Amino acid sequence: MRTATIVLAAYLLCVVVASIWRLLPWIDDAIPDVGALTAAYLGLTARRQVSPAIGGAIALGYLIDLISGAPPGLFALVLALTTLVARAVQQRILVRGATLSIAFSAFVALVATVLALIARVGYRMPSAKLSTELSHVALVTVATAVVGPLVWRMFRRIDAAFARTHRERDAALEGLAP
Amino acid sequence: MTLRRRLVDWSLTGFLILLPALVLRASLSRGTPSALDEALLRITAPLETGVSWIIEGIGGTWSRYVALVDIEAENRELRDDNERLRRDLAAMTRKAYDVAALEDLAVVKKRTPADTLGARVIGAPLSPQFRVLRLKIDRGEREVATDMPVITSEGPVGRVDRVYGNYADVVLISDPGSRIDVVIRDPAQPAAQASGVRGLLVGLGRPDSYACKIEWLERQGRQGPGPDSKVKIGDEVVTSGLGASFPAGLVVGKISKIIGDDGMFQSVEVRPTVDVSRVRAVMVLLAPPPPPDPDAKLRRRSEPAFGTRPL
Repeated sequence: MRTATIVLAAYLLCVVVASIWRLLPWIDDAIPDVGALTAAYLGLTARRQVSPAIGGAIALGYLIDLISGAPPGLFALVLALTTLVARAVQQRILVRGATLSIAFSAFVALVATVLALIARVGYRMPSAKLSTELSHVALVTVATAVVGPLVWRMFRRIDAAFARTHRERDAALEGLAP
Repeated sequence: MTLRRRLVDWSLTGFLILLPALVLRASLSRGTPSALDEALLRITAPLETGVSWIIEGIGGTWSRYVALVDIEAENRELRDDNERLRRDLAAMTRKAYDVAALEDLAVVKKRTPADTLGARVIGAPLSPQFRVLRLKIDRGEREVATDMPVITSEGPVGRVDRVYGNYADVVLISDPGSRIDVVIRDPAQPAAQASGVRGLLVGLGRPDSYACKIEWLERQGRQGPGPDSKVKIGDEVVTSGLGASFPAGLVVGKISKIIGDDGMFQSVEVRPTVDVSRVRAVMVLLAPPPPPDPDAKLRRRSEPAFGTRPL
């Protein structure tokens, strides 16, 4: 239920970002990768089992594929792998505090866009010039780093709403893995 | 977590990662959305539309009512541009109108065997009912003389009435003092060949129209008296060429009303073809056209009226 709520909120956020981005053409390619942020959060907060987080990331990726016009499965695959990367990071370092959140947001955005690039090349999908792709990666990374902490704060609120005890609630609001 | 549960979890994870890879491969090979894609799009489309509508509404409100920086300066600039473009358009329209009038005159000059001189209309006094009373043209004493006929491509306009300095006044055919010998054109014959019943066209001098009338219109044509020689509304009136002023065959107007018929003569009202209020340039006939010579193979022109041709 918690994962489904986060996926639904992330999907709404993606739609909102897409609508706002249309109204601000001067933003160019600097669009925050909400999908990657969500996948990373699901990976970071995965409890004992990782498969529900992966399932949520795939569902969100599939919805993003549909609204973005990408071939179905592309972002689903990318977000599933991003979740695994975030899970691996969570087992080694504690992502907490504004600086680390920003840095980790940038990292997951970079990972997601590079994975998407690799998937496109692997599946022989058309891609732009390397310089254009790199500029896109850089802009998306910066934009994602800026909004990352805010998006995670929203997800923590959702987590807190699903907490069964006060301790779980406080831990969720603190950003601590359960 | 037991080893068994961990194995199940990782197996499930592996399967879940494999799933989008397979879906991606399938969608790339298929090229079109699957039934599931279409169903999901159908479900999510209203939500996306609603969110877009709200966001665009907020954005529109912001841009229309809040973010109005520089709008005043831009508005002023656009107003200035608009005014300048309107001026340019008016000037261009005037020029285009002049060019069209001059082109018309060139056609008239080529068509008319008489010695002619082009003139620009520079003034037109109006009656209280906005009817042009006479025309003032930019040709003066050394170029035109009184009683010279004035025409356009559409037909006769009038005669030069007064010449003073570099200007001349033209009295219109609708003036009560104007008289032109005309014939009712026989529809079976070309306009250049004057035939049919004859009459004298006199201006009515009405303050609200350019109407003329023909009095004592003979009911006997060249074919002799008969029912066919009776004129009808809509018949064309052309110059007869008699009186050595207007060349024969110029269309003066059309019969608009039968005023009287005493069995021998008819009296009719004529609506001229030339709209004097729109005339910008005219042609003055300096010398009458030469009489037709059936033996000559070439079309003859009249001799220059003033020795040299100004145009």
